[in-house]
Amino acid sequence: MTLLSVENLRVTFDTETGPVQAVRGVSFSLGRERLGIVGESGSGKTMTGRSVLRLIRPPGRIEADAMVFDGQDLMRLPEPQMRALRGRRIAMVMQDPKFSLNPVMKVGAQLTEGLRQRDRMSAKEARTKALAALEAVQIRDPERVMEAWPHELSGGMGQRVMIAMMLIPEPDLLIADEPTSALDVTVQAEVLSILDNLVKTRGMGLIFISHDLRLVSRFCDRVLVMYKGRVVEELAARDLMQARHPYTQGLLNCLPRIGGPRTPLPALDRSAAWAKE
Amino acid sequence: MIEIDNLSVTFQASGRVVRAVENVSLSVAEQESFGLVGESGSGKSTILRAICGLAPISGGSIKIDGKPVTPQTKAFARQVQMVFQDPYASLHPRHTIDSVLSEPLAIHGIKNTDTRIEQALTDVGLPPAFRFRFPHQLSGGQRQRVAIARALMLEPRILLLDEPTSALDASVQAETLNLLTRLRETRGLTFLMVSHDLAVIDHMCDRILVMQHGKAVETLTREALAAAEMTTDYARALFTASADRMLA
Amino acid sequence: MTWNEWLLDPNPKSRAQSRAGQAWLQWLRFRRNHLAMAGLFITLALVLAAIFAPWIAPHDPIAQSLADRLQPPLTPGHLMGTDDFGRDILSRILYGSRITLYIVGLVILTAPVAGLIIGTVAGYFGGWVDAVLMRITDIFLAFPKLILALALVAVLGKGMENAVLAIALTSWPPYARVARAETLTVRNSDYIAAVRLQGAGATRIIWGHVMPMCLPSVIIRVTLDMAGIILTAAGLGFLGLGVQPPDPEWGVMISAGRKFLFEQWWVATMPGLAIFLVSLGFNLMGDGLRDVLDPKGAR
Ligand SMILES: Nc1ncnc2c1ncn2[C@@H]1O[C@H](COP(=O)(O)OP(=O)(O)OP(=O)(O)O)[C@@H](O)[C@H]1O
Ligand SMILES: Nc1ncnc2c1ncn2[C@@H]1O[C@H](COP(=O)(O)OP(=O)(O)OP(=O)(O)O)[C@@H](O)[C@H]1O
Ligand SMILES: [Mg+2]
Ligand SMILES: [Mg+2]
Repeated sequence: MTLLSVENLRVTFDTETGPVQAVRGVSFSLGRERLGIVGESGSGKTMTGRSVLRLIRPPGRIEADAMVFDGQDLMRLPEPQMRALRGRRIAMVMQDPKFSLNPVMKVGAQLTEGLRQRDRMSAKEARTKALAALEAVQIRDPERVMEAWPHELSGGMGQRVMIAMMLIPEPDLLIADEPTSALDVTVQAEVLSILDNLVKTRGMGLIFISHDLRLVSRFCDRVLVMYKGRVVEELAARDLMQARHPYTQGLLNCLPRIGGPRTPLPALDRSAAWAKE
Repeated sequence: MIEIDNLSVTFQASGRVVRAVENVSLSVAEQESFGLVGESGSGKSTILRAICGLAPISGGSIKIDGKPVTPQTKAFARQVQMVFQDPYASLHPRHTIDSVLSEPLAIHGIKNTDTRIEQALTDVGLPPAFRFRFPHQLSGGQRQRVAIARALMLEPRILLLDEPTSALDASVQAETLNLLTRLRETRGLTFLMVSHDLAVIDHMCDRILVMQHGKAVETLTREALAAAEMTTDYARALFTASADRMLA
Repeated sequence: MTWNEWLLDPNPKSRAQSRAGQAWLQWLRFRRNHLAMAGLFITLALVLAAIFAPWIAPHDPIAQSLADRLQPPLTPGHLMGTDDFGRDILSRILYGSRITLYIVGLVILTAPVAGLIIGTVAGYFGGWVDAVLMRITDIFLAFPKLILALALVAVLGKGMENAVLAIALTSWPPYARVARAETLTVRNSDYIAAVRLQGAGATRIIWGHVMPMCLPSVIIRVTLDMAGIILTAAGLGFLGLGVQPPDPEWGVMISAGRKFLFEQWWVATMPGLAIFLVSLGFNLMGDGLRDVLDPKGAR
């Protein structure tokens, strides 16, 4: 069953120096599964994710033939209804946790804000729920982290706080933009297993944006490979390591390996043909 | 070159005491590249920040060349520089690349700003045309190059690298790692580097220290890592979880 | 190469070119916002009126002519009518714009600068420096602005200079607050840590790195406050404590027209409209500036 289907999505920034096309005709559909999006920096991964929530700031604008979430066309939905969807049914873990957390508000207050305002929970209930969420993402002393300011968190802790915050309202669709880039492998495995569980038991849909190709091939069901705002290849995640497209192969070749030689890593040769329609 | 002896760092935050680093010792030889890996929140960044005087040291000592460090002085700045984890947060959004790179020269009263900046840009492989751009006109990898160039402006001998590539994609990561290796060879730099990607650490470092909960768990050489000769459970767990990064 | 190309060159050749290009981009962005442009025109009109008052005013603003007193608007020769001394209201408003602009200019040059310095220093150093500076700020904030200004003028004596001083002294605290809040969000950032590591001193960091980040919010706050400043000045004039008659200050004019509000409405309404229009202009411009200068927009 499809949860989200996107057809011919385009994101254009009308800058003073002329239009910049960040996403150029991306189509995909998502069931209750894990969809990975990979690609180099600036290829439009984040913009694709943000478009689903219609969170592109002017001068950017979104166009799509259709963007249907659970029977509702997101392109036509009025803003108040869209706001009701955001956070509650569709959540997004932003790429830059330090930038997305409010620097002058304690972590606990940020975690419970939504619960108290939206779900009208008592302070105590909200706190218990927030603590549980922090524990779930392997935060060692949740009590302390609740009282901490964002700058007192380590890089990886900030990321996990963001994930906890987005999972508290139990969304139907989670867009995770590089959610684990600052986590070590063991904690990463735990966090991924939470996400995995939500997909398997609650039927949540997951869009997993990452530049860690090996992680995506291990964790996701399907992968979109993006280059310059277009999807150049779509394939089953387990086949990612045998990708055919020269761009994907190039990205794979750049990776260092444990026990590998100390010679310079191969650089990626970009060919203009990959960006053609 | 760097001697850290029984270092402890304790934060006092909102009335609570956070023991971020407890009794960690390590030593890095001249021109060595030393890696720090370990659990998220285990105090890796804090060790680097403590060396630079950005974290409160509650016990132990840090020596460079046998002398206790005097962080945030001009002499220290010419010896040790740091590259931060997040290239999006480590450049001032309203300063051009030119002013980012000329600032250290101005502080230290160094002359021929123009030639030095052009040289620095060439060294990190950025076109000179980028000199008057603002950070938001650069990609993540280009920003990280600017951050590396800034760290090298004062020609330090030690570079502290806090996850220098974790925010970068595979191709840019490769470029940045190649750049760091080349600079280390040509300038004889000493690296102390944090990363959670064992493959990156293996590619760059001669020895690594594994950390957990603020404590040192185990020191491994590169050969021991590749041969999976670790003695502690945690180090082994890290290694097993990185199985997909092994040379096939 | 045209000017436009030179300004928008993605690879500027010099510091000046890159600055100019950045400013040009901001101007292009500002220009798209029609309301902000309207605000800008109103402000420009105020400045032009102040500069050219002697040439465009039809009459001497303080020459009395009791034969022509209380003429309604649109009387030939008196477009906005006359007041109870037979002075031409239009001329008084045009000359009054000089006083308004003078007050606004002086306040802009003092209050935000003081607020910016106090706020960034408090925010950057934290600890007891912060506690002391912010308590002082709180004391100033605890009194309503007009009351505090009144008290100051009562101590310093009547007159325009003292009114300006009083307004400046009462309006810096909000800027200090804004600057401090902004400083708190940047002082722990990596780019500040990086300059500290290069051996930079506190002055250099606050001046070169913290203040540029606080400036936009303070500038925006100032333009939004402009209306309040004009009204406070008018209020002081209204109470007879600011500019002294017969100088044509808008607040004083309203105060004088109060007596005839029901029979000769225009005497108080015309200067009131001028205050309204100028305040509106500054407000609209401030809103536009917010969109252009917001540091979060410049990623
Ligand atoms: N405000 C803007 N104005 C103009 N172009 C923009 C703007 N914001 C983003 N872009 C462009 O949109 C493109 C896509 O950016 P996006 O953030 O989606 O990349 P990404 O794939 O998420 O990269 P990364 O891995 O670095 O996060 C980039 O080329 C960028 O230059
Ligand atoms: N300024 C501070 N005040 C209070 N606690 C702090 C502060 N800075 C760091 N900590 C705490 O110190 C501990 C270690 O943090 P550190 O940033 O060194 O971790 P890390 O090993 O770099 O982790 P990561 O891989 O997630 O970046 C964390 O528990 C963190 O919350
Ligand atoms: Mg992105
Ligand atoms: Mg860290």
